[in-house]
Amino acid sequence: MEDKIKEVMLSVFGVEISEIDDNTSSDTLEVWDSLRHMNLIVALEEEFGIEFNDEEIIEMTDYKLIKAIIQEKKC
Amino acid sequence: MKNLKYSEILKANRELGKSLGGSKFEITILSNIITSQLNDILEYCLRKRNINAYVKSGDYDNIVQDSEKFKNSNLVIIFWELANIIDGLQYIANIMSNGEIESLLSKVKSNIDFVLTNLKNTSLVLFNKFSSLIFNYENIKSNNFDKIFQNLNKYLEQKVQSNTIFIDIDKLISKVSIEKSVDFRYFYSSKALYTIEFYKNYAEYIKPIILSANGKTKKAIIFDCDNTLWKGIVGEDGFDGIEMSSKTQNGVVFEEVQHLALELNKRGILLGICSKNNPQDVDKVISNHPDMKIKDEHLTIKKVNWNDKVSNLKGMANELNIGLDSIVFVEDSSFEVNFIKEYLPQITIFQVPEKLSEYPRMLREHINLFYNISESKEDLKKAEMYKQQAKREHEKSRFSNLDDYLKSLELKLTIYINYNLLIPRISQLTQKTNQFNLTTKRYTESDIKIFVNSNKYRVFAFNVSDKFGDYGITGLSIVKLDNEIKSADIDTFLMSCRVIGRNVEFSFLDFIINCLKDLGIISLSSCYIKSLKNEQVANFYEKNGFELIKSFDNEKSYRLRLEKYKSKNLEYIGVEIGR
Repeated sequence: MEDKIKEVMLSVFGVEISEIDDNTSSDTLEVWDSLRHMNLIVALEEEFGIEFNDEEIIEMTDYKLIKAIIQEKKC
Repeated sequence: MKNLKYSEILKANRELGKSLGGSKFEITILSNIITSQLNDILEYCLRKRNINAYVKSGDYDNIVQDSEKFKNSNLVIIFWELANIIDGLQYIANIMSNGEIESLLSKVKSNIDFVLTNLKNTSLVLFNKFSSLIFNYENIKSNNFDKIFQNLNKYLEQKVQSNTIFIDIDKLISKVSIEKSVDFRYFYSSKALYTIEFYKNYAEYIKPIILSANGKTKKAIIFDCDNTLWKGIVGEDGFDGIEMSSKTQNGVVFEEVQHLALELNKRGILLGICSKNNPQDVDKVISNHPDMKIKDEHLTIKKVNWNDKVSNLKGMANELNIGLDSIVFVEDSSFEVNFIKEYLPQITIFQVPEKLSEYPRMLREHINLFYNISESKEDLKKAEMYKQQAKREHEKSRFSNLDDYLKSLELKLTIYINYNLLIPRISQLTQKTNQFNLTTKRYTESDIKIFVNSNKYRVFAFNVSDKFGDYGITGLSIVKLDNEIKSADIDTFLMSCRVIGRNVEFSFLDFIINCLKDLGIISLSSCYIKSLKNEQVANFYEKNGFELIKSFDNEKSYRLRLEKYKSKNLEYIGVEIGR
């Protein structure tokens, strides 16, 4: 699952694999702006077949939180 | 694209962007909602068809100002979302007074006027019609919000501009379903309304228009016979055993399919048959079967034999002088479909579905591939012209050398200069001509309009006729003048493939050069830009005495001192000026 999340992030942000790690967040990654955040959410929803609520969407601004929220949803 | 996830499209699009070369096709999307997800999806959809598309968004809710800023894009797309014309119009409208609605309408209309005026010289504009469907589909009685959208769409209908196409997005929303078209979470949080699913469908829907503007329209539809034009196998079931009429349960679908084919034929699309059968069996059906709607007069080409279909289809493309990529082939057998896909991947192949009731609907979807941005009178005459062509081929075989044959034809060129009435046809020639085309520059009607009405350009178009009939407007040259330094440049020089091999290009060039001399021009430049299909004219300018100045990978540029030009003066081609 972690690989899948990172793969989606790579596609959405169009960055090199080296630029994404467990500490990546909208603060560390310049291209992670509000538009791309929406694209990321849409892509993750499609990838994992889930739907996030408004609160989650706002929270999911770093890799660790994204992972935690998806894990919670999948259980 | 249907089956790709959004993240997969993003990735694949980036890869395609790196590998695709050629001139950029720039698209700007102007919108009062967030539509940025469409950018990559549309890019991908077009890049898959070798159009080097670059899509960007204007600023959020800045349609009027941005229409000035981005008017030079190759294409401008406008998403003007009714519910966001003012914040919350979908609920505010219904408590507004008539006066308030009137003043809102007049403000929006004047904005529409601004935008369309700013974009009047843009090559191509796609303007989504207004819609209330998403917010109002359940209402039994129409409300103010409905009235506003109806009023605005009526206003749009009067705004006919040759470069602007209004897109009925209600059709798309119905196809995708409202539930799958919109995601209100993003509408309320970020002013983004539509889903990935909707954008995929939108991109596919407008693709034929863009393909056509890039000279990638399909030109011919070829049918297999058995279980494609009729139910059954004529060689086994016999003349009386096949069905294609609404009188029978199995035949009804095929009657509809034949009518769809005839509708295309009426629009100038070439119709053909490629089938493994005894030719006399098929001929008998075409000539004598009471239910057969497609007759010999509609068919431009027939290959009914036992050869493999790959060779037959190749031969057909050759004889029609069109590219394999402008052919759609309809076939029922999986074996043939796979065989052709393997060896002729350029052909668009459509397999008759097992569920026959789906056949007409699916064929209709494919019919969009024949969308022609500038359908002209020439198209309607095309089938007739190809018939005349057959007579010429027959005549040709009587002469041992080509010159004698050409002399016997009584060829006549009629040349029109900056002729307004021909604008649609001229634009179409630039979009559809691939082989005898020195620079392959594509122009829309509004581009051509600018040339025709400018002092700085001479647009020469010719009509050819001979003793068998008329070929129509089939040749074009656009020359840019620079009177100050007494020079000119040939921007475009092309000829439709149906008049190749008659030497009319030489008389045409003679005429243009004489005309330029009369204008006081001394020096003429030109160039050849190599494309996938114009190899045959690679040395056209050398042959006509132009001096090669520079040669890059895909481009050669030339110069000619007009005093040095040797006229060909072909006495067997008559030339006159059209009025």
